[in-house]
Amino acid sequence: MDEKILIDEAKQGSRKALSQLVRLHEQTIYNFSFKICRDREKAENIMQETFYSFVKSIHQFDGNSKLSTWLYRIVANHCMMAARKLKNYHFVSLENDDDDGLYEDRYTADWSRLPDKFTEDQELKNILDEAISKLSPDYRVVFLLRDVEGLSTEETAQITELSVPAVKSRLHRARAFLRKELNEAFAV
Amino acid sequence: MSEKKSNCKGVMQHICESLGEDLNSERCIAIKHHLDDCPNCKTYFKTVELTIDYFKKYEVQLPEGAHERLISFLNLNDCEE
Repeated sequence: MDEKILIDEAKQGSRKALSQLVRLHEQTIYNFSFKICRDREKAENIMQETFYSFVKSIHQFDGNSKLSTWLYRIVANHCMMAARKLKNYHFVSLENDDDDGLYEDRYTADWSRLPDKFTEDQELKNILDEAISKLSPDYRVVFLLRDVEGLSTEETAQITELSVPAVKSRLHRARAFLRKELNEAFAV
Repeated sequence: MSEKKSNCKGVMQHICESLGEDLNSERCIAIKHHLDDCPNCKTYFKTVELTIDYFKKYEVQLPEGAHERLISFLNLNDCEE
């Protein structure tokens, strides 16, 4: 059934429509949540909280954006709340204006040696996990929404409540940081 | 248009968007000329592109039983087909 019809039915109180909407989006929301928190149990808890908020506030959904964008806003908020509880965890600071270090390579890796079927490659997954876990969640969420999930800069700005220039700046630094981390890991 | 050309245009758009410039602006044309002749920059932007691609392809499947636990958490068990 068309998603718009399901949304209308859910707003009129159909629990069956809600259940179908949950099924349609649960994989995307779990995947996003995992990419932010890098922990399966936490990702599942955040997914549950996200859909709980969704069920409670579906009547407020105005249809001006896609439902998935609205869900990203909810899940990103839950992820950021969870991340703030990790305040003692040390993330790499990217706030420093002098970011020349992000663009200079001490080592040059041969990226062409990387496997094509890397999704099955545990070593590569570990490298990706380690790189992104060093990145502060404020930057991680911008990188994931804009580059990985493919939202526009404006949508990312709305969801994160940042200005468009701030999104661009964080995205730019997050990309450079992750590229540098991968380059160093691949050079070993 | 070849895939290579399309990627180059995508990279240029990313760079110019970050600078708040359109593709035909003087600054963007200067960057394009520099990129055409600079192997270091070409490698750099290729590896940025690969970095994004790796994170895009890193998908995690919903764990077994997670759907049922979610539906139960939302008290929607009676709505399942």
